[in-house]
Amino acid sequence: MTPAVRCDGVVQIYKTKEIEVVALRDIDLVIEEGESVAFLGPSGAGKSTLLWLLAGLLRPSAGRLWLGDTEIGKLGPRALDRLRAADIGVVLQNPARNLIPYATAVQNVTFAQRAVRRRGRRPAGDLLDRVGLTAVRDKPAGRLSGGEQQRLAVAIALANRPRLLLADEPTSQLDAVTGQAVIELIRDLGTTSVVVTHDVRVSEATGRTVTIRDGRIGAEGRGGEDFVVVGREGAVQLPPEYHELLPPGSMVRVEPLPDGVVLRRAEP
Amino acid sequence: MIFRGLWRRRWLSLIVLVVAILPVVAGSLGPMYTDAARTTLMRETLDHALLDHRGWRVTSVTDSAGRLVEHVKAPFLLPPIEGAELLSPNDRATRTYPLMWVDGQCDHVTLVEGRCPEAADEIMVTGASGFKVGGTVKLALVREPDSDEPRLTPLHVVGVYETDAADPLWYGRSLFPQTAGVTEGNGDPLLTVPDTQLKRATATGGVIGVPGESWVSSAIVYIDPQKITGDDLALLESIQAELRGLGRSGQTTTVFSYMDDMLAAVHRHLDSLSVPTTLVTLQLVALGWLLMFLTVRDLVAARAQEIALARLRGLPTLRIWAFGLSEPAFLLLAALPLGLAASFAVVQRMSETLLSKDLEVTVDGFTVLCGVAAVFGGLLATALAARQTVTQPVVEQWRRTPRSHRRGWVVDGVVLAITAVGLAELVAGGAITDTTGQRASALVAPGLLAVALAMIARRILPLACRALFRLTRTRGNIGAFLAMRQISRGSATASSVVVLAAGLGLAVFAVAAWSVTSRNYQEVARVHNGAETVFVVPRTDTATLGKISAAIPGTAPVIVTPGPPTTLATDPARFASVALWRPSYGNDQPLSRLVAKLTPRVAAPRVMLSGDRIRAHITTSPLPEGWSANLYADFRVAGETRPAAIPLARPDARTTLYEWGLPRGCLTAPCELRGLRLEVMGDTGTNFEDRPSGSALLTKLETRSDGRWTTVDAGLDDPNRWTSTSATSDGGLPLSFDPNFSVSRPDTFPDPMPGLSSGTAAGQRLPGLDDVYFSAYKSVATTRALPGLNAPGVVVDLETADRVAYGYSSRTEFQIWAAPGRGAEVREALRRDGVPVLATRTLDDLVAAYTSQGPGLALLLLIISAGVAALLALGRAVLALHAAARRRTYEMAALEAAGARVRPLRTALLLEQTITLSWGALTGILAGLVAAWAALPRVPEFADIPVTPPLDYSLVPVPVIAVACAVLALSMIAAAVTSELLLRGVRVDQLREAPA
Repeated sequence: MTPAVRCDGVVQIYKTKEIEVVALRDIDLVIEEGESVAFLGPSGAGKSTLLWLLAGLLRPSAGRLWLGDTEIGKLGPRALDRLRAADIGVVLQNPARNLIPYATAVQNVTFAQRAVRRRGRRPAGDLLDRVGLTAVRDKPAGRLSGGEQQRLAVAIALANRPRLLLADEPTSQLDAVTGQAVIELIRDLGTTSVVVTHDVRVSEATGRTVTIRDGRIGAEGRGGEDFVVVGREGAVQLPPEYHELLPPGSMVRVEPLPDGVVLRRAEP
Repeated sequence: MIFRGLWRRRWLSLIVLVVAILPVVAGSLGPMYTDAARTTLMRETLDHALLDHRGWRVTSVTDSAGRLVEHVKAPFLLPPIEGAELLSPNDRATRTYPLMWVDGQCDHVTLVEGRCPEAADEIMVTGASGFKVGGTVKLALVREPDSDEPRLTPLHVVGVYETDAADPLWYGRSLFPQTAGVTEGNGDPLLTVPDTQLKRATATGGVIGVPGESWVSSAIVYIDPQKITGDDLALLESIQAELRGLGRSGQTTTVFSYMDDMLAAVHRHLDSLSVPTTLVTLQLVALGWLLMFLTVRDLVAARAQEIALARLRGLPTLRIWAFGLSEPAFLLLAALPLGLAASFAVVQRMSETLLSKDLEVTVDGFTVLCGVAAVFGGLLATALAARQTVTQPVVEQWRRTPRSHRRGWVVDGVVLAITAVGLAELVAGGAITDTTGQRASALVAPGLLAVALAMIARRILPLACRALFRLTRTRGNIGAFLAMRQISRGSATASSVVVLAAGLGLAVFAVAAWSVTSRNYQEVARVHNGAETVFVVPRTDTATLGKISAAIPGTAPVIVTPGPPTTLATDPARFASVALWRPSYGNDQPLSRLVAKLTPRVAAPRVMLSGDRIRAHITTSPLPEGWSANLYADFRVAGETRPAAIPLARPDARTTLYEWGLPRGCLTAPCELRGLRLEVMGDTGTNFEDRPSGSALLTKLETRSDGRWTTVDAGLDDPNRWTSTSATSDGGLPLSFDPNFSVSRPDTFPDPMPGLSSGTAAGQRLPGLDDVYFSAYKSVATTRALPGLNAPGVVVDLETADRVAYGYSSRTEFQIWAAPGRGAEVREALRRDGVPVLATRTLDDLVAAYTSQGPGLALLLLIISAGVAALLALGRAVLALHAAARRRTYEMAALEAAGARVRPLRTALLLEQTITLSWGALTGILAGLVAAWAALPRVPEFADIPVTPPLDYSLVPVPVIAVACAVLALSMIAAAVTSELLLRGVRVDQLREAPA
């Protein structure tokens, strides 16, 4: 079965006036259909950049990226627009940024639905009902509470029955109760979803976590257990909690074992 | 959703709407105002035109003139005035009378006695004709129709009428010579009824169909100045062409009209209107688009988040454009009717106050089209403004600090290149006289110049601030540092400088144009009118005119004969005291010193005589065989403009006394002996070498009056009283047989006479008071302009000019000039002295007339529009700075939280705003001045460019400085208020919120 998302050696470089910044390097990642994945990592690690790549808002500088059978890097701008409209739902970090503040909740949903043919749409009323916003459907989005705005953002993202839901910090500005409601909403959707978060509750709610450090996938968590990921060149990123044992810059001795290797600090 | 969005950004939307209205107003105001001004100019030209310039008089000896013109129809034409006339001498052939009838004649005359004619053969006459009510008049061509005998029909006088010769019914013809006192053998019209013509149509006296011998049918078609509009010009021209053709089609139909002259004058006025109006309109529209571009960019920027959202949702490109442009497009569409309405209101107000009060301002298709074009241009500007927001990557939109992009030189280069081309064409091409595309770049050069300088200035300012930024980083306070940093990187700074410089550039140009043109109007009016108030009085003689003037202090007598060169004869001393004079016109010399040279030395007295006969006592030696001599005497006779010559004598040794009749005019008024000419003739075959030599001696002249002979005081034996053309002799005036010395004249004037000339008038003969161009003159000084002369001409002494002339031409105009401030007193004095005033010309009236010409009207449009545009530009610049600075309140709040005091922050804001606004204002002022320097000499100021005085295009400093100071002061105030408002909006709590 074709995975929902597949990244193969994806590299992303930003060019500014003076310098080039490598935001992502050699990202290999496979996300299966229906899987929920949380991207974790410190600020500036490249989480959002990877999310924007998955949303087709950026083209990888190198490597290949598939969404289902479609290789995103080979699509033109129009095809990317169509892909984004029909197959990808995006929830941005600040709830208000997802909305047109002077339009009502219903208008916000229907605005997103303009991009696709009528057949692919979900009725706006159903969507708002699903996210619990029926009562405020005709209220301008700018006047909704933070939680309501975030739920509305999720509803908008789902407006065209996307195959992939991308959410950037969906709970960052919400109180605990509201955040929990949003988490449950995303989890219960059943859609393949990728969530960028710092929120432990979110990561716990997803089946899989991917930790990104310095533009690389450093670790993955599945079923409550964290794994270090061996990179293309055999590099591994030790989680910070082990830095005390093996400080950065120290020399280690690699000792093979039948099912792996052991790293021991060595004094030259 | 559009309305909700507009309401959410209501203030910005309102500003965009106001700015969007500007190009629509600018685009539609020009055509609408031009329409109104064209109509005004047309009506004014017609109003001031003579009767035969504002209509046609069609006559025919074979057809009904009314029928000939019945198909000539237009809304602005009055119904034809039909009539007919028969020109016939009276039965004694002493005077020729027009027997005529005209439609509505009884309504246009005042009956002094009797009644209007009602039946055939009844007539009414003028009082000056001498006919009495109840009497009869017989005309040679009005005979009994069915009579074999050539018996004349008596016409019965039933009334005596008075009428105004200037009544439109008479079409400006000189129909009333008897009433006017001109006795040239023509009588005043005998007004009758059409029945007289019908009854006498087959009169045997004249030949039917031959002009001057039978009834001539006529129809007068007038234009109604109150109904004609500027758009009717083409129709009027076609009517003129048709009627002109009618006049050429046959010998029996004649069309009398000076319509071609009127049309030429209208075209001249309209052409002079179209150039500056197009100039004003184009520049205002361009400025409006620039303002629109910059303001819409703000609106689109305010929607950047929403547009990015639309792109995130995958909306197709077209839908994104539609979404991005929906609000500005809606505002633009709303601006169209609002702009048209505003234009309509402005033009209506302007027409009420500045043009004809009863003018109907209309919004025609072309005006709407111009408005739509302005909107379309606005849409393009909007699309350009939105392009970056709509097309830039979404992730770029979300960046807190967008990547800086290099400012391209392409647009700047194009603007600078077009400006250079326009400027070169403007400077090298001379005056702009048409509005074709060929001169388009020259027409918009002033506006382009402002934009080009603004573009250079916006690049210089950040560079300068960058240099100062380095300085303030190491020394000085944080306020200067922050201000320099912000200006050096701010895009708001650049756009504010551009819009402010362009707007103010136009305003300064407008003020400079207004002040320079107003000064030229004033100067030209001073020279052309000559004095502050000029009264035109009836034509009389120099002595009477001199007496009128002498009786009223602060006046000067002036007689003007049109040239070229124009002759202005006056009393030099009085002239110098009342004329408006600038010493700069005459090498910094006062007028009194210049005109003092005009009065000649004391001249000999004139030789005046009167009577019916003249007798000359002449002695001469015998003439050779076959030779004879004729002595002619030239006289100046009252009422004539040519010399009257009589063959006074054929000098012969056999007799000494010769007698001849004096010209008839010498009977009723004194004549002046102006010269004696001795012409020698030889019979056929005589030898030239035998021609007589030496001279005859005129010893005495006598005239007979009432049968008595009186000796004429001619000073024949006084060599000082006669021009010495031959050897003098005691006891009389020698008359030489030598053809080179055969003319003797009383030495009553210097020849050539001294004259003060202007321009290129020197070296020609003057028309003189008699308009016969006999007067030679010698220039005592040449000036750049002379009071009262609107063309090159000469000022001469009135008494001398009178002695030179043989009379007064009908082209001369007798005037009394009033000294400054004495107009009312002089008018009252003239009234008191019983001197009719035919016309009064004042300096202010002349200035007002110039102002109401095409260029003057366009200047009004420029002043009003540029003022509004400048205020909008200043407002837009302040708003842009305010918006840019408001985005930084977060940063300022952080500084305040970090312990920075308020004072340096205030200083920073104030400095930033002041520097930007002042820089923009100074650039604008410079741009306006340069544009004025380049464009003013090339843009017409007058419908007819005056020949004299030379126009002065140097800038008038006071208004320009006043505007510059006002602009800078406004900028400072705006900067201070904006800074204070912004500073009050800085709150530390703001740091808890996301930056805007």
